[in-house]
Amino acid sequence: MLLRLDTTDTRPLHEQVAAAIRRAIAEGECRAGERLPSARDLSAALDLNVNTVLRGLRELRDEGLLEFRRGRGITVAEGASAPRSGLRIKVRELVAEASRLGYSRTDLIDMIRESS
Amino acid sequence: MTDGHDGGHGRRRAVRWALVGGTAAVAALVAGLPWLQRDRLPDRLATHWSGGPAPDGSMPLWSASVVPAAVWLVLALALSVRWRRSWTGPRSWLPIALAPTGVVLVGAQISIVRANLDRADWHQARQPGWWIAVTLALAAAAGVLAWRLAVRATATAPLAGTPELDLARDERLVWFSHTANPWLQSLSAVAGLVAVGAALGLVLGLAPAATLWPVCAGCAVLALAGSVSSSVRAKVSEAGLEISFGPLGWPARRWTPDALESARAERRLPSQVGGWGYRLSGLGTTVMLRAGDCLVVRPRGRRSDFAVSVDDAERGAALLNALRARTPGPGR
Repeated sequence: MLLRLDTTDTRPLHEQVAAAIRRAIAEGECRAGERLPSARDLSAALDLNVNTVLRGLRELRDEGLLEFRRGRGITVAEGASAPRSGLRIKVRELVAEASRLGYSRTDLIDMIRESS
Repeated sequence: MTDGHDGGHGRRRAVRWALVGGTAAVAALVAGLPWLQRDRLPDRLATHWSGGPAPDGSMPLWSASVVPAAVWLVLALALSVRWRRSWTGPRSWLPIALAPTGVVLVGAQISIVRANLDRADWHQARQPGWWIAVTLALAAAAGVLAWRLAVRATATAPLAGTPELDLARDERLVWFSHTANPWLQSLSAVAGLVAVGAALGLVLGLAPAATLWPVCAGCAVLALAGSVSSSVRAKVSEAGLEISFGPLGWPARRWTPDALESARAERRLPSQVGGWGYRLSGLGTTVMLRAGDCLVVRPRGRRSDFAVSVDDAERGAALLNALRARTPGPGR
């Protein structure tokens, strides 16, 4: 799998790590059930602190994209298909754009309700 | 894709003729030596010693000269035939196998003729002890020499690398890939179980220790070697390429981007490199866990390639080449 980090990105590093893996799943770099490199390997390769990488990975676990299993390491969750990850990215972009334009999350949720 | 050894055609022809000539010379020497000295030799020659100074095997003069020569010719022929079409043309291990064997045969024949020289009966021949030692030392030297010459003769310029991956100035890319061979993994697991069982048997005294010790040690070595060579991980980052073996990621080999001359992807088969596992062949070193995509790199200053069978090797090679272009290495 190929991971990309943009060094000019100003977001917190753990978010960047999560975004890179989210993108990798969305682009089919790693399929459901596939094992991810260990947090130690990822942190060495990306030249980041292990805790930063772990924080990004936990974020993805909470989103349901990754599964942490004892003895099996970190795997891509069975439900985390590429479209789902792609949708996650779009939702994040939407939330970021809304907050830039001055809309709150509640405003955005109302908008989504109205549109359906 | 793998038949890229186009350069050095004349050199390869010279190597082939040297092999044919050398084979014929060894056959003539082995067959001719007893004949040339037949006036000073007994009717039967002592040809076998089992440790002691007195011989325990003999052959008539004619078969003592013909049999080793025939063995040599059959061996050379069997090794030179291209059994499989998928085998690559320049097989550098051929001279590496033939040179020490030829030296051993010639040395053995000289030892036998010397031991029997001026003896009335083969029972009087004495074991040529130090001749055997000299022969073995010479054979080892011949093997090393043939290896060096063969590597030089078949050394080729590395094939063109994979085109570089598009890499923005402020982008950090890393590539991971891994392969495992489930057959090797289960083999090493079974060996490990047998080793543990044998160790238990030793502790409980179920069988004589003399029979259990070799089983325990052999299976333990097999289990360790199997688990180390049954899975491999490749990682390409700004630090370069890292290949690590086994579940613990140890041992590992690392190259910085500028320590590599080129990187490419290639399809390779176990039959081309001589089987599964860590293989040395005419194609260089190959870590072969399954047929198919291999990441092939040429370390700087080396004459042969290092390859590892991992998925998605094309992009790994492309990223490595992009990283090489970014970090100016020596001679750039």
